[in-house]
Amino acid sequence: MAEARKWDGLERRGRAGAARRKKAKPSRVVADPEWYRKAVFYEVAVRGFYDATGDGSGDFVGLTEKLEYLEWLGVDCLWLLPFYQSPLKDGGYDVSEFFSVLPEYGTIGDAANFLQEAHHRGIRVIADLVLNHTSDQHPWFQESRLSRDNPKADWYVWGDDNQRWSEARIIFTDTEPSNWSWDPQREQFYWHRFFSHQPDLNYDNPEVQEAMLDVMRFWLDLGLDGFRLDAVPYLFERDGTNGENLPETHEYLKRIRKEVDDKYPGTVLLAEANQWPADVVQYYGDGDEFHMCFHFPVMPRMYMGLRREQRYPITEILAETPAIPDGCQWGIFLRNHDELTLEMVTDDDRDYMWTEYAKDPRMKLNMGIRRRLFPLLDNDRRVAELFHSLLFSLPGSPVMYYGDEIGMGDNIYLGDRDGVRTPMQWTPDRNGGFSRADFAQLYLPPVLDPVYGFQSVNVEAQLRNPSSFLQWVHRMVEVRKQHPVMGVGSFELLNAGNPSVLAFVRQTIGDDGQPDIVLCVFNLSRFAQPVELYLGQFEGHTPHELLGRVPFPPIGELPYFVTLAPYGFFWFELLPAPAEEARV
Amino acid sequence: MIDERTLQAALADHLPRQRWFAGDQDSAGAHSVVSMTVLKSGWPALVHVVVEAAGRRWQLAIGLRAIDAHDSFLDGKGDAVLGLVETTQGPAMAYDAVIDSELAPLLLAQAMPGAAVDRSRPMGADQSNTSVVFDERLILKLFRRLEDGPNPDVETTRGLLGVGFDHVAPLLAEWRDGAVHLAVVNEFLVGAVDGFQLALTSLRDLYDARVKPNEAGGDFGPEARRLGGVTARMHLAMSTAFATTPADPSAWADDMLEHLARVPSDRLDVSAVCAVYDRLRGVRPGPAIRVHGDYHLGQVVRTDAGWYVLDFEGEPARPLAERTRPSSPLRDVAGMLRSLHYASEVAIRDFGYADDPEAHELASDWERRNALSFLKGYNETEGIAVLLPPVETDHATTLLAFLLDKAVYEVGYEASHRPDWVGIPQSAVRRILEEAALT
Repeated sequence: MAEARKWDGLERRGRAGAARRKKAKPSRVVADPEWYRKAVFYEVAVRGFYDATGDGSGDFVGLTEKLEYLEWLGVDCLWLLPFYQSPLKDGGYDVSEFFSVLPEYGTIGDAANFLQEAHHRGIRVIADLVLNHTSDQHPWFQESRLSRDNPKADWYVWGDDNQRWSEARIIFTDTEPSNWSWDPQREQFYWHRFFSHQPDLNYDNPEVQEAMLDVMRFWLDLGLDGFRLDAVPYLFERDGTNGENLPETHEYLKRIRKEVDDKYPGTVLLAEANQWPADVVQYYGDGDEFHMCFHFPVMPRMYMGLRREQRYPITEILAETPAIPDGCQWGIFLRNHDELTLEMVTDDDRDYMWTEYAKDPRMKLNMGIRRRLFPLLDNDRRVAELFHSLLFSLPGSPVMYYGDEIGMGDNIYLGDRDGVRTPMQWTPDRNGGFSRADFAQLYLPPVLDPVYGFQSVNVEAQLRNPSSFLQWVHRMVEVRKQHPVMGVGSFELLNAGNPSVLAFVRQTIGDDGQPDIVLCVFNLSRFAQPVELYLGQFEGHTPHELLGRVPFPPIGELPYFVTLAPYGFFWFELLPAPAEEARV
Repeated sequence: MIDERTLQAALADHLPRQRWFAGDQDSAGAHSVVSMTVLKSGWPALVHVVVEAAGRRWQLAIGLRAIDAHDSFLDGKGDAVLGLVETTQGPAMAYDAVIDSELAPLLLAQAMPGAAVDRSRPMGADQSNTSVVFDERLILKLFRRLEDGPNPDVETTRGLLGVGFDHVAPLLAEWRDGAVHLAVVNEFLVGAVDGFQLALTSLRDLYDARVKPNEAGGDFGPEARRLGGVTARMHLAMSTAFATTPADPSAWADDMLEHLARVPSDRLDVSAVCAVYDRLRGVRPGPAIRVHGDYHLGQVVRTDAGWYVLDFEGEPARPLAERTRPSSPLRDVAGMLRSLHYASEVAIRDFGYADDPEAHELASDWERRNALSFLKGYNETEGIAVLLPPVETDHATTLLAFLLDKAVYEVGYEASHRPDWVGIPQSAVRRILEEAALT
């Protein structure tokens, strides 16, 4: 409650801060080469967070104003969806100018100021960057298509033969008949692994390699702390291959890593590679490629575990997840701006997600439909808490999605991409407090339905209510950050005789040289469940429940007995028995 | 080391209290000690003892602690305590050594010399053996009733592993006396839950949700199908690892009639049952192979790597030769199908839906769906056809006969042990007879 009031008060002082914007502020980001392994990430769309200019679209100035909220929430790093100049035919992933900001979002200066303010609050920022292709509106492509001998003629992948590399699969089979499209101006085909309006850059051309490094340097110089690199497997093309995960691609990615390590230490590279974990690990290299990769399959499996009321969908994928090099980290998420996807497992007989679980009527309904977390969970607060407790304790760094911390809903009538990208809901006022523009001017209408609409679901109301979901998430983030073991610790599944119960132990040695041990127990069932845990290795330790610091009975010789409420969970810190001298 | 007279008095009282001991009070009193071997002297001491009683040989590992020093670990473990005995080291408290974390590793070392472990914990006792888990990664199974030859569980597991069937717990070490197995060490399957528990989880969800089983969140169908696949692969591995023989369906029918004769005749329609068995005599059966022999949901466990099969000892009460005698793989299939029926009915009773007709309907829907899923997984397994009756009607006749045999046995068992439950197998017998009348 005290926390809530504090933030509320700062908010009311509001926009006076804008005047001070120009003054340079010192960064309060704590230097730590492995910060990303302990950080809580927060994915946000500049367009959807806060509209400070009143034009109906969120912007950098608005995002800057809301940094206070994000600092209060406790997130360590923001991941920004693409904000570059773009015709927005693919949500900004079709960039038409890398060294600029989409005018609706503001200017380069606004972005620089935002980065400075974020750092001043101890918050890092990474951004989406697409290496593979540009928009066909990009000047590079406009120049390249002019002739076969202009200076940028070889910046894209051109060919007279549209049958070459037919082994490469077509990713958007619904809209694209081929990976080649005809350009009438140059009278040649150009290669595109995604949409035909997104021609692939030609990485065999050293100038292109250098140009994209320049793009990265530009934004890192401006203050970005890293990139989430989109669609990385497809940078090169080679005859007789499907063009995915080629050695040349890894070589270039390693070059990027070396560049940032040498000149921008502390920068993080996060890969989007929507594949089976055993295949994703190649993107960590020997610890010399990406720092982080998303763990894609774990989210749908959490959902299936919930449906089945048993842990196996989750534990199987964790058991199949290989070890990763030192200093690397998984990114764990519950939801993001894309759909609940199962595509990474289609032709893999090690997995039954597609062949069997995908036949579940509820799963079928949800697949391919972009839904937010709360609608997926039937708006059940208990399950949302259970899922967040998993998000914050599974091995990896949690990546939250804006709005999920207040339980925002979606608008499935907006079309698949936009349904989960509606404006952040700040207050019960006009446009949910997102913008002072006319309603009709908004980039997307805010959610208005009686359950999830901004009048009932908004930040302001939840800040005032000490038992709100937002306050609960705030507390969880705080506890998670008190226990870096959740990010860096080892992971050991425990033997639980009750199939509805998932239990594991995270362990590390803390900075003080003392063991930091956390025991996590989850009930995936809507019924109360008991479980006996074999904790012989911790005999004599006392579990302290982490949210309330309540000591539980010490672990003895017998199996440790825990009872869990429906969808209940416990995080325990295991503290050793006091030393003998201390007792005397 | 232990004074025989005091040991015999202690055993006479101890044996009948053990779940694994099949004899009665009198046979326990009349036991004789076959061998006594000191594995460790000094306190605590460990003595290996084999006794003969009720016509069989039984194995014990006895821990001994000085009379004034038996620690709190004996509190509340009365069943594991033998009581006071005289020893060459003086009077001692004797107890089952598996509960002593100082002595249990010495038992492990008999099978695995030099094995280094930190912790041990005894696991629930079975009918024929006692298990101890070490460091949550090894499990020592101490056979209580010693066979006359190799233990069929060890032998079968080794055979299956040898032909590449990896859905059994890996075998790490054996402790034997000549050909006789005393104990075996397997890898401990972490996170394993037995099939019966998993089925109950599914049923709990179903009876609460009241939707069709295939639409329920806790649908067991995919699990049943995978279990069918593992079962078929187990049979294929059995047929490679062990001798197959030409089957003799008439002998099967004779066995079934013999089982039928032990069941009170007022509990079933004897002549209809006999008719089904007689039809078995005319089928072309496919080969007879080594089978599991006591196959049900409690003998399979779900792990993070799928289903694993346990306990290839067959029904311990039967002679060794009979337990390893080749039979039809459909005998195991029938065992699992009967188990699915039992799970759905046990759940109805346990969860308090006995008087709820809708729950009964859901129960039979659940059983049907999962039986079909199991059979689908079984029959779709590549190569399984060569182990099954080649003609479709013979296949059906054989499966029905084994189903009926199992249900008839259950009627007899329930009638004498749990009369309230006899309705479960009786309804199954009726259903199987109806089905037989249609084919």
